[in-house]
Amino acid sequence: MYELFFRKFNEKVPLTHEEEEMIKTYLTPKKLRRKQYLLQEGDVCKSIAFVEKGALREYSIAENGNEQIIQFAIEGWTISDLYSFLTGEPATYNIDAVEDSELVLLSKSAHEELLRKLPKYETYLRLQVTGAYLALQKRLTSVNTLSPEERYANFTQLYPELVQRFPQHMIASHMGLTPETLSRARRKIKSK
Amino acid sequence: MQTRQTIAIIGATGNMGSAISKSLAKGNYRLLLFGKDESKLKKLELTILRLHPDADVAPITCSYTASWEADIIISAIPYPAEKEVADRIKEVANQKIVISIANPLNDTFDGLVTPPGSSAAEELQKLLPHSKVIKAFNTIFAADFPKTVPAATHTGSFIAGNDPEALEIVSELVNTAGFYPIIAGDLSASRILENMQLIKILQLNK
Ligand SMILES: NC(=O)c1ccc[n+]([C@@H]2O[C@H](COP(=O)([O-])OP(=O)(O)OC[C@H]3O[C@@H](n4cnc5c(N)ncnc54)[C@H](OP(=O)(O)O)[C@@H]3O)[C@@H](O)[C@H]2O)c1
Repeated sequence: MYELFFRKFNEKVPLTHEEEEMIKTYLTPKKLRRKQYLLQEGDVCKSIAFVEKGALREYSIAENGNEQIIQFAIEGWTISDLYSFLTGEPATYNIDAVEDSELVLLSKSAHEELLRKLPKYETYLRLQVTGAYLALQKRLTSVNTLSPEERYANFTQLYPELVQRFPQHMIASHMGLTPETLSRARRKIKSK
Repeated sequence: MQTRQTIAIIGATGNMGSAISKSLAKGNYRLLLFGKDESKLKKLELTILRLHPDADVAPITCSYTASWEADIIISAIPYPAEKEVADRIKEVANQKIVISIANPLNDTFDGLVTPPGSSAAEELQKLLPHSKVIKAFNTIFAADFPKTVPAATHTGSFIAGNDPEALEIVSELVNTAGFYPIIAGDLSASRILENMQLIKILQLNK
């Protein structure tokens, strides 16, 4: 149930058996079916979700009704509206399951208690947040400096599995492209 | 809350289980009805859908999966059966709200079987040490659940528990069910609430 969670944790910060057992008491196992929401815009994001199995996406809805996907998550990734989680303000993003999923949730209170009790959790979290920050910066740079083809090529190289798991229109939305621009980019890359 | 919460009702086809399920079906909840008898479950599902055509309900015959999917678990089974069920769902009920509705009556309905200085809710908390057990609904008879919605007058319904956030969530749930939630205190207040109901039952059986 927590196998991947602890594998990833141990890759960042090795834990003793006792520490794992202690952390386990704070985790919430949660199964989510396809299309169910983990979070809806307007609610406070109450937990950070780690994906043991399945696939989720995080998105906002523009005034014209278009969905803008800001993040995907598959096995081994975490997903949340971190801003809402940390500040307690209403979330501006929705998170839902694209496939039936098995999650490990860390609630805000569990998170705060672990921060107090276990310095290794703080290290783990710092590495997580740093990683997320770097990915965000990379994404911003690519949006600002690359052509659609370059962005798509970049993305498929970095995350080949996401391209397999998520439908094209979601990938397009994530890259800020229309599905048409995306398929044009794909054709250009193929013909190269 | 916008995000739909999933509630597993363990013992959904019983008197209380079905009354609670029907009363919550109008709320923004997904209800997982757990029971052993599939035909009874199907009947309950159809009754709920007749009352609330938009209800999000699903029968389920595995208490472990139901609890795994759930955000909130309602234990609507007799007190003596709670140990067996708690053992089964313990792992997937971790950190979740578990609602104890039991009145631990003896066989002659004139006393409680819980050890002195404890209550059914506290015993359940011992079985599920990392869940958030909240006492609710035990002071309401199954027959007293509002038949029509929305209820014109709200009957008070006591709740008790240790986790402030869980108490808030259960208050909202009790309110959706058609009652006015009154927080009686921490989980040890369940002793008073369970004895209160014993007195009511003694009066009825006089
Ligand atoms: N009745 C009331 O007015 C009232 C009021 C307040 C609180 N309560 C409390 O509510 C609880 C339920 O009472 P009730 O009157 O609704 O009883 P009930 O009608 O007999 O229902 C009990 C339910 O529990 C199920 N069950 C029994 N043993 C089980 C087990 N080992 N594993 C899984 N499910 C099991 C039964 O399923 P099967 O039929 O398939 O065996 C049945 O659906 C009790 O704790 C009671 O103290 C009742």
